[in-house]
Amino acid sequence: MISDARTLPDATVLQADFCIVGAGAAGISLALGLSQSGYKVLLLESGGEKEEAATQALYEGHVVNPALHSPTESYRQRRFGGTTTIWGGRCVPYDPLDFEARSYVPHSGWPIGYDEIARYYPQANRLCEAGVFDYRSETAFTRPLKPMIPGFDQRHFTMDTMERFSCPTDFHIRYHDKLSAPNIQILLHANLTRIALSPDGNRVTELEAKTLSGNGFSVRATCFVLCAGGLETVRLLLANRDVHAQGIGNQHDVVGRYYMCHIAGTMGGIHFSIPPASVWNGYDISDEGIYCRRRLALRPEVQKREQLGSFVARLHHPRITDPSHGNGILSALYCAKPFISYEYAKRLFEEDPVSWRDWCHHLKNVALGAPDIMGFAWHMLRDRKLAARKFPSVVIKSRTGLYSLDFHAEQTPDPMSRVGLAHDRDPLGMQKIEIDWRYVSQDVHTVKRSLALLQQDMADSGVGSFDYDPHNVEKEMTRYGAYGGHHIGTVRMGHSPRTSVTNSDCRVHGVANLYLAGSGVFPTSSQANPTLTIVALSLRLADHLQSLDFSGT
Amino acid sequence: MKRTVLVLGAGGYVGRKLMDALSRCEDMQPIACLRRQSSTMGHASVCFDATDPVELEKHISGIDVVVNCIGSDPTVMKHSAQALLQAARSNGPLIVHFSSMAVYGSACGLLDENAPLRGDIGAYANAKVEIERLMASYPRRIILRPGCIYGPGSPAWSSRIARLLKARRLGDLGAAGDGIANLVHVDDVAAAVIAGIRRPECAGQVFNLAMKNPPTWNDYFISFAKALGAVPVRRIGEKMLKAEGKVFAPALKILEILVGKLPVSLDLPPFMSPGLLSLFRQDITLVSEKAERELGLVWKDLETGLRDSALFEEEKK
Repeated sequence: MISDARTLPDATVLQADFCIVGAGAAGISLALGLSQSGYKVLLLESGGEKEEAATQALYEGHVVNPALHSPTESYRQRRFGGTTTIWGGRCVPYDPLDFEARSYVPHSGWPIGYDEIARYYPQANRLCEAGVFDYRSETAFTRPLKPMIPGFDQRHFTMDTMERFSCPTDFHIRYHDKLSAPNIQILLHANLTRIALSPDGNRVTELEAKTLSGNGFSVRATCFVLCAGGLETVRLLLANRDVHAQGIGNQHDVVGRYYMCHIAGTMGGIHFSIPPASVWNGYDISDEGIYCRRRLALRPEVQKREQLGSFVARLHHPRITDPSHGNGILSALYCAKPFISYEYAKRLFEEDPVSWRDWCHHLKNVALGAPDIMGFAWHMLRDRKLAARKFPSVVIKSRTGLYSLDFHAEQTPDPMSRVGLAHDRDPLGMQKIEIDWRYVSQDVHTVKRSLALLQQDMADSGVGSFDYDPHNVEKEMTRYGAYGGHHIGTVRMGHSPRTSVTNSDCRVHGVANLYLAGSGVFPTSSQANPTLTIVALSLRLADHLQSLDFSGT
Repeated sequence: MKRTVLVLGAGGYVGRKLMDALSRCEDMQPIACLRRQSSTMGHASVCFDATDPVELEKHISGIDVVVNCIGSDPTVMKHSAQALLQAARSNGPLIVHFSSMAVYGSACGLLDENAPLRGDIGAYANAKVEIERLMASYPRRIILRPGCIYGPGSPAWSSRIARLLKARRLGDLGAAGDGIANLVHVDDVAAAVIAGIRRPECAGQVFNLAMKNPPTWNDYFISFAKALGAVPVRRIGEKMLKAEGKVFAPALKILEILVGKLPVSLDLPPFMSPGLLSLFRQDITLVSEKAERELGLVWKDLETGLRDSALFEEEKK
């Protein structure tokens, strides 16, 4: 049942077995995982069925260095479906090595192993509509695929792993009907404002929530799960200081620390000496109709030997802003910049001003590339705009064998990279967040060394050259700042409350019935985009909650 | 001594498959009841109107078992069932009656044989409910409620689906295909009839017939498309499905009626009625443990069933 909290009489008290806060990828997956349990599940969502400016504005906050981090209300959506409503759809599982404590990645190591998550990846893949859980091109495809780079020596990088693309699935639209199960109640426009604890601080007794219309209500439940995202969860824990003076789960000042996104950028120029037509940088479509893309992934044994974080790279079109690429489609995209959303435009275009001479050059490219542009426009209309499963991104095949390198790397957990509270408050009286995102020298080392290995492999293989300025790596890897809207690690799981916020079951240390879900609990970021693992971990949590003994509560 | 088994509706898909299966049984002597003479039947047959009680009574005289596979127009189904019951009262054969999962109507969840009969999804379902109620008055009857009968050449659940998959009009339907496909292989259906005839204790019983752990419709379509080689599977959006139900289906139905009046036969594309599209969403699972337990059924695995069905479609081509 889906209803609106604005219609509740003021001071209503609701009862449930499980109360979930936040209807995004984590909250919806968790509710779906509990839908057959027979327990009564109450899912509180701040937003409505569509984006609403006043609700979205509740995400407004402060960024210490705006050059390194996007505004706090970008890359996340406060509405039914959460940020899946603007999701790009890239699904990638974590690798087994990501779960290990690595001496060269400070603060790394999960309290659970890969196998613990792997049990839930197939079901997570289904929920994300990314086909069967097989991320190796050699086994996922029964037909032979065109080699990505024929003759490339894969001693450091493998071209076998791939990413799969969701439709992308908007969890609100997709699971709306399934969430209408009789034991699930979804309450829209319900903003959590207070987590009430027992006097000893060991249990949550109730949640208090308000709507922007002014009415308030409370929820009593056996268990409470915050699925509000890696930033908002920090805010909710830190804002509640009436029992625990530093905030819930924050006796050791860990909440909000270790904040990670991903380190990403576009680098240099690859010039293939092999026939350009033999290079493949596009998507392969699986039998189930899933768009899959291979990439160059740094092998785990190389990561260990070289002491690097995880790193993947894709062949990318040349830098759009520089018209010397001579490509009409890229120049046309540049000219269409005002029509592309902030989240995607940020990566496609740089903020450096473009000269009038370059503008003229772009227009010349557009004029000369008109037939290609028409073909591209038709492809994007048919395969992206009108298609139910959307072509995931702009892929430009180079006729001359010229590409840039698009990379996506792990960010090292660092306690100094953090999310905290500012002094000013939102219209509901909640303190706003302040983000101080930082990276460390290990992050620069991972990217620098990986690029150097790739450059060496290209040359040694005799397939072409990769030219870039090694002195420019740090500038390029931080050009987009904290990348991807992936809010990771702020309420990390671990064995000790001194270095983590939750235990391996995602329960907040010292609070018997408060759980957290989402990428905030990931202790490390991997190179992988987080959504698939968020869903897998939420399904695992659903199983754990159902296994608990509630007799006597 | 062999049991004589009269199969009403033997010209239909299930009837033909059942005749084949019964012919292979040493203890059965099947006779096909057809509306009109067919040279392709290859079994002993009689030809008469099964809605005529006098004709029926004449033909079931001395028959041990009557299997009622008539499943077409609701009025014909009702009239033939009434005629059968009337004829059977004087002869007393065992009746194996094919009902349908449609009797459960729009119900959702796990449904065993004791679930209420809603029949609220159209005239066909309603007629099946009415007939079951009529049948209840006859003690020597077995009622079978199969789910969607698939198998090589199954017009409704294999051949039609194959054509739609190949035309990319079916595929991954997203939320519109999350319903449960209560599939049952036609060989399992025939096995259920034979087991019912051989086990006297089954008289008076009702059995759901559907495979264990059924797939969702999306899984069925994707698996079948792979078996057919109709890949990559297309994702079908809500707008396209609306057009199928509200535009293509009525247009093709009208065309079908018009073409039916022509002296020549035309092979029209299949259509998906709004009722069929609703079924693809329906979260209904037939519990068929009773059939496993009392009829001793072991369901054919889906992979084998799909492979055989795909092979049939390939050979047909």
